[in-house]
Amino acid sequence: MTATPDTPAVRMTDLRLDRGGRTILHDVSLDVPRGSVTAVLGPSGSGKSTLLAALTGELEPAAGRVEVFGEGVPRAQKALLSMRKRIGVMLQGNGLLTDLTVAENVALPIRTHTNLPDPVVRRLVEMKLHAVGLRAAADLFPRELSGGMARRVALARALALDPPLMVYDEPLTGLDPIASGVVMSLVRRLNDTLGLTSIVVTHHVHETMPVADHAIVIANGHIVFSGTPAALAESQDPLVRQFLDGRPDGPIAFDTTARAPEAA
Amino acid sequence: MRGPRLEFAVGAFLLLALASLLVLALASTNNKWGFGGHSYPLKARFSTIGQLRVSAPVKIGGVVVGQVSDVSLDPQKFDSIVTLSIDERYKDLPSDTSAGIFTAGLLGESYVGLSPGGDIETLKPGDEITLTQSAVDLMQLVGKYMFAGGGTPAAANAKPAAASTSSTPSDAPTEQTP
Amino acid sequence: MPFVAATRALGAAGLFAVSVLRASKPTRDFFAELTREIYKIGARSLPIVAAGGAFVGLSVTLLGYRALETYGATGQVSVLLGLGLYRELGPVLTALLFIGRAGSSIAAELGLMRATDQITALGLMGIDPVAKTVAPRFWAAVLCVPMLTAFFVSLAITAGYFEAVQVIGIDGGTFWQSMKDSVDFHDDFLVAFIKAAIFGAISALVAAYVGYHAEPTIEGTSVATTRAVVNASLLVLMFNFVLSALLFRS
Repeated sequence: MTATPDTPAVRMTDLRLDRGGRTILHDVSLDVPRGSVTAVLGPSGSGKSTLLAALTGELEPAAGRVEVFGEGVPRAQKALLSMRKRIGVMLQGNGLLTDLTVAENVALPIRTHTNLPDPVVRRLVEMKLHAVGLRAAADLFPRELSGGMARRVALARALALDPPLMVYDEPLTGLDPIASGVVMSLVRRLNDTLGLTSIVVTHHVHETMPVADHAIVIANGHIVFSGTPAALAESQDPLVRQFLDGRPDGPIAFDTTARAPEAA
Repeated sequence: MRGPRLEFAVGAFLLLALASLLVLALASTNNKWGFGGHSYPLKARFSTIGQLRVSAPVKIGGVVVGQVSDVSLDPQKFDSIVTLSIDERYKDLPSDTSAGIFTAGLLGESYVGLSPGGDIETLKPGDEITLTQSAVDLMQLVGKYMFAGGGTPAAANAKPAAASTSSTPSDAPTEQTP
Repeated sequence: MPFVAATRALGAAGLFAVSVLRASKPTRDFFAELTREIYKIGARSLPIVAAGGAFVGLSVTLLGYRALETYGATGQVSVLLGLGLYRELGPVLTALLFIGRAGSSIAAELGLMRATDQITALGLMGIDPVAKTVAPRFWAAVLCVPMLTAFFVSLAITAGYFEAVQVIGIDGGTFWQSMKDSVDFHDDFLVAFIKAAIFGAISALVAAYVGYHAEPTIEGTSVATTRAVVNASLLVLMFNFVLSALLFRS
């Protein structure tokens, strides 16, 4: 299947995702247009990370279909690997290897998947670090970095193979307002200058809205809003309003429901 | 710790370990590295082997020249056939060499001691040593000395007791006392 | 049903062990990681193993001397020391010290990698996490535990020599000669180091399995570390019995 420029970067059709016997998400249908920054919002535990897992092929859908650049997410090892090289993922915990320097961390995907000679790899790493403003940190170890710096290194590493699709899982967790601003502005700038498509999964609504083209809100196991950030701010849907205004009471349950005792 | 310094540290560690293995092997083991090469067999029959087991040493005059490689029972004559694996350096043992089973010290392990004779003819590989002396059973010996001689009532009363507590086989032992 | 759960756990552990062996490929990266792990778990365990060895040597010599004095066989102290070290104390005690020092750190490091998404990240980058994180640690342990055992035994014998000859007054020549006469190169020396390598493998597999599959939280990491030390120690003691029974020829 050849993807035309109109094919959405990601298309999910009637997706249902189960984990541990429980249905986390159901009736999920969405399109992520190419070149856009899409924010996936929702309260904690709403299934946002589960959505990402389905996207990267870690979780198999219980029903429905996930397509990335027009092709279904494969299950075979080699095909999955080749698809994953086209998706850059920035994980919540950064995932920087503790025994390697910043430069070695960023070089890791390049050295694993290409046969480029060392000097070329080093230049590429410098370019990626420069794009996030951290060329000077190349020889530091992850434990020597501040939260914001580590996050940006993870971003540089996710960009290492120039993937057309970037996925950010909670990129603003634990960052101060300045660092948050830096990261979000990087997300937007890189998206536009490199012609990427970006999906940002977060619950930091106010930092993300200025930067996003499209917003999706997930609550109570399904999508409750899909539209522009402007429309989101004006929405009168009780679920959306509770989430945006940060009210404890409302359609989104705050207390957990009693779980049925697990079968032995 | 990075790069060259790390590699140096690991290299030093490995060298030190190998050196220590070598020193241990040389200084604290019996250095029997022979992987079964260069030895020839001799046989010897004993009526009883006592505590002798396979891989017990064979010594001439206290020096180890080989080891016991096999112990089996003759199904016809019911004596033990012990196969000795002798180092090839000690090739031409006289054919009147005698073999005896001794104990190293009072409580030590059993070994086979060879006493070379003076015969011009030599033992060939596979030959049998004809002059043998079986193992001495310590308990029997003690019993003999304790209850032998003097028809004293105490001794006479003690004899049945000795007969019931003795652990030797009922058939008369044929070993000679040393 | 605890029995079913235990059997499943055993099966999972066995599959993990197989995957570690399958993932071990001699690439340039692997050797770099291996070197780093040998330093972290081998060289850094050296102080505790050396100190432990020295003290065990001193204790066993003293204990042996007191026990043999009754039989007038004090010249055999070195035999007790040598055979005791090679047959049991050397491999087992070194392995237990190793588990405490390096096994716990393997479990903790892998648990931390799990909690900070490093393992997930490797998977998403198309790198086999087991090959990159577990295999180097496994082979480093298999190499290092025998080497650490060698250090343990050398220090124990040296300390024992000083205790016996300098302090107690046993003749130095007798000390070495009796030991050399009783310690067999194949049955005692080689077997000790084979056991040590097996214990290294067990320790690393248990610690890596527990750490790799830890809950990705701070508490999960600490639980993993404790479980690793306890389970690995028990397995080593169990295998020590099994190996001794199998290898003891008489």
